[in-house]
Amino acid sequence: MSLLEWNTSAPRTGEPARGTRPPASRSARTRRRLPRDWWWGYLFIAPFFVIFAAFSAYPMIYALELSFSDWHGAGRLHWVGFGNYTYLLTNPQFWSSLGNSGVMWVLIVPLQTVLAVAAASLLTRARLRFTKSLRTIVIIPYVTPLAAMAQAFILIFDKNFGVLNAILRFFGLPAVGWLTTTSWAKPSIALFILWKTSGFALIIMLAAVQSIPEHLYEAAALDGAGAPRMFWSITVPMVRRHIGFFLVISTLGISQMFLEPYVLTQGGPYNSTTTSGLYLYQHIQNSDLGTGAANSFLLVVLVFLLSLIAVRVLRSKEEQ
Amino acid sequence: MTENELPPRGLSRRGALQLLGFAGLGTAAISALSACAPGGSSGNTKALSAVPSSTAAKGEATLWFNDDDLLKVFKTVVPSFNAKYPQVKLNLVGVDIGTKLAPTLISGTGVPDGSFAADGAVGAQAAELYDLTSLMKPYVADTVQYKLDVNTVGGKLVGIPWDTDPGLFFYREDILSAAGVDPAQLTSYDALLDAARAVKGKNPNARPIPLEQDPNLGMQWLMMLVSQQQGSGLVDAQGNLTIDTDAYRNALTWIKKVADENLGARCKFASTAQIALADNGTISIVPWAIWFNFLVQTALTKSSGKWRVSQLPAWKSGGARSGVMGGSSFIIPAKAAQPQLAWLFYEHAIYSPEGIKQVFGPNTVYPNGLNTALPSVKSALSGPSLFNALPQLGKTSLWDVAAQASLGIPAGYHVPTWFNQAANYLGANLQLLMDGKMSVDDVIKQSVSGIKTNLVQRA
Amino acid sequence: MSSALSVPSVRARRTEPAVRFRRALGYLAMLLAALAFLYPIYWMVTSSLKPGVSILDDPLGFNPAQATLRNWTGMFANVPIVHAFINTLIVVVVKGGVLMVFSPLAGYGFAKFDFPFKNFLFGFVLLTLMLPTLVLIVPLLLEMSQIGWINSYQALILPGAVDAFSVFWMRQTIEQIPDELIDAARIDGAGPLRVFRSICVPVLRPALAALAVLSLFNIYNDLVWPIVAVNDQRHETLAILLASLTSNVSGAQGSTSSADLWGQLMAACTFATIPTILLFVFLQRHFIRGLLAGSSR
Repeated sequence: MSLLEWNTSAPRTGEPARGTRPPASRSARTRRRLPRDWWWGYLFIAPFFVIFAAFSAYPMIYALELSFSDWHGAGRLHWVGFGNYTYLLTNPQFWSSLGNSGVMWVLIVPLQTVLAVAAASLLTRARLRFTKSLRTIVIIPYVTPLAAMAQAFILIFDKNFGVLNAILRFFGLPAVGWLTTTSWAKPSIALFILWKTSGFALIIMLAAVQSIPEHLYEAAALDGAGAPRMFWSITVPMVRRHIGFFLVISTLGISQMFLEPYVLTQGGPYNSTTTSGLYLYQHIQNSDLGTGAANSFLLVVLVFLLSLIAVRVLRSKEEQ
Repeated sequence: MTENELPPRGLSRRGALQLLGFAGLGTAAISALSACAPGGSSGNTKALSAVPSSTAAKGEATLWFNDDDLLKVFKTVVPSFNAKYPQVKLNLVGVDIGTKLAPTLISGTGVPDGSFAADGAVGAQAAELYDLTSLMKPYVADTVQYKLDVNTVGGKLVGIPWDTDPGLFFYREDILSAAGVDPAQLTSYDALLDAARAVKGKNPNARPIPLEQDPNLGMQWLMMLVSQQQGSGLVDAQGNLTIDTDAYRNALTWIKKVADENLGARCKFASTAQIALADNGTISIVPWAIWFNFLVQTALTKSSGKWRVSQLPAWKSGGARSGVMGGSSFIIPAKAAQPQLAWLFYEHAIYSPEGIKQVFGPNTVYPNGLNTALPSVKSALSGPSLFNALPQLGKTSLWDVAAQASLGIPAGYHVPTWFNQAANYLGANLQLLMDGKMSVDDVIKQSVSGIKTNLVQRA
Repeated sequence: MSSALSVPSVRARRTEPAVRFRRALGYLAMLLAALAFLYPIYWMVTSSLKPGVSILDDPLGFNPAQATLRNWTGMFANVPIVHAFINTLIVVVVKGGVLMVFSPLAGYGFAKFDFPFKNFLFGFVLLTLMLPTLVLIVPLLLEMSQIGWINSYQALILPGAVDAFSVFWMRQTIEQIPDELIDAARIDGAGPLRVFRSICVPVLRPALAALAVLSLFNIYNDLVWPIVAVNDQRHETLAILLASLTSNVSGAQGSTSSADLWGQLMAACTFATIPTILLFVFLQRHFIRGLLAGSSR
């Protein structure tokens, strides 16, 4: 787990650090610690950890236990070993749900990240008016109830009466079955998610961009750098850490997402929008708690592997 | 995909059905939980028998309904109940049952004394419910058999049947007569197909038969077509899959013909598109559950008065002319504090002529009667009409047609606990068939293998 | 526009049309973005002001002449929305308070101290971050019913009061603080708590402000767990109320009052959205000040 060190400037030890590393090897690290009062660390995490242990860790261990059983919520618990895992790994539906989520990731995350960084730096640095109002406007969707908004989007996407097709018609283009065709259903859901969650991305990126010291830009301006160059040579490198953080968070979000496709398409047409989260939800809906739990832990492993790769890539970039 | 060129007006009820899914989101964790009570299994269902007499009945009971019109309807029954049982105080509460009932049954906190429940949901919760077999004994003979089958789990009756939602045949009288079709002759599905061809011959743009685009509703529609042939849905009484049968093959082949000959309109029930298509005459032949009547009454304003209703055609002469498409019942949780009082109320509302008339007949909530469903009590169904005649249906008697259909629903219908999940297999494959992308044999083969490996074997 | 008034050098004058064009382009982009982001909300608000029937009849149109408050009065009469709002406030304040205090503390502990099992414990925290919360619902429900917390404020508040996301975020941010800064303070004789208060908190301010905003909204809209944990009206939160209103609407398929229910649902959704927008606009100043406080370092 410690491989998930996002401190990309940390020295590479060549092998994954273990949690229970003996003190001797710990002192070999370059970062200076405060060895005398190490127990303060426990004090600081204690309040958090008590609640965490009771209401996150305990249910999680329970779920892990369930993933090796065929428990349906009633009666005795029967152990099935890795049965749930092999069932999923040999099931084409499991893989296609991952594929669907992968496509959703491609449709959402890169675009949202770039837009959020660009918008955050635009709203912070560009001398335009109304930036404050725009920031508020972008964040509002994040706080609206999903129920009402899904309804609004179902109408917006409606093939015959929707706003989108009205716009297409205005330009003389043929109507599109936004939510009813396999080719458009995913982009349509992605659009809804972009609309709903861009405020979240913007808040994180604003926090990042606004903490970049102003003097860096002043120095660059003296050197005659234009806005685009400042963006690429100052803003982007300075917020790389936050981009990494946001990528992890949004990847996790996409891997778990189920409400959006559920309300918009129920996973259709022909299961083409059944994402990994929705597929997981279907197990739970079917009382198949064991398979649901196994599915969850497979997602954990997958996301973990992806994060590892991401860290490796980021680090090797940095060392170049 | 269908290309519907329609004027941009209309009424969207489609959203409601989409959000049905959203409502299920609470069900997310929950339908799972339905059977979740520790130690529960169908083996230890508690039986409810001895009931206090009218004077001895005393106390306070809480009954759950969805927070909708039905709650208001049943509240109108309380005064007549209290006339019989003066010492009973009833609290009829509106609750989001789909999301709240299951977790409540598991946690055992705040359990109601009785609750409304959709038919499909009852089976999964059987372990948490009272066995009502002996209490229901006097009424079993007077109840439509398929409703008893639906509510029987492990040989025990765990639900009190409330309504039947029979399949009916709605049609545009003006369009059929213009095409020279005599509705009275439409007693077989082949005749229905011919009628659709005739209508299309008259109007090449017509696509008379709606082909449901929602996988779940589409599958329910298929169940209606299937159950009227063999009286079973997805499974038989032993829980064996019944998909690879002639009944399915007939129904699917018929649907495929509708799709292949362009006689079907692809749209979702109550969507803006469907309403516009039904109003402008594109859709004119609608074999659907009785609740299509809702659209006829409220949404189809342009074609109002041109609709008629009759029984479904039969698959073979003399065969059943009605199938199952929905329905609900009442349950009494095993942890209820006042199960007897709950039973007394349901008994009064369902099995007394007074109660049933107050529920289904014209009342303050439904001035024309609760005419999107029918009772499941045989004596009421064979009795006089409880509905007012509807001008939207040209004053023909919906009651007479529908009551006959309800009585004719074949017995033997069973709802497996994974019914809704089957939409991901059979429902999705049916959509492919309707879009011309899958053959009848493939629908059957792939649905059987998908449901077997993913639902039956893991149930 | 200050740049347009700047020193009238030849060079500036020559670039002026280009700057103007870019600026106009910027405003156009902003306008389009604003329209796209606001349209669905405009739809929600106007739907709440339309006669119920025309929500179904003419879903996209809005005739101000027909605007009515009937949905609003009906909504207030039908559902205990104010009560639900107060419940939501209680949960948001307590849960948010716990989160805002405990997460940075834990983040500091994980970032700047070395203690046995640290990486193991933090890995555990990250694991729950990666685990879909959906799968924890059933185990949590069983746990709650064992300790008798169903239908209680504790059940609404404590699960999720500390989440892996915020601890992860706080640790990420605190790690950026140079150890030298902390060591210097330590040499001056400051205890760990003081170091946290005087060194970390100022640096954390932007992240704390953002965390406050995000967790506030998250708690406010949290849905799946509250629905499971509570089944009485006394503890019902806004999100639960909206969910049951939604399912009423869909449950009322066959009934004549469904149009009214639609109107009331839209009114309730608008009602639920207004406080968050107001709060955000109000908090914005603090939020931005927090962000700027960070940048001045």
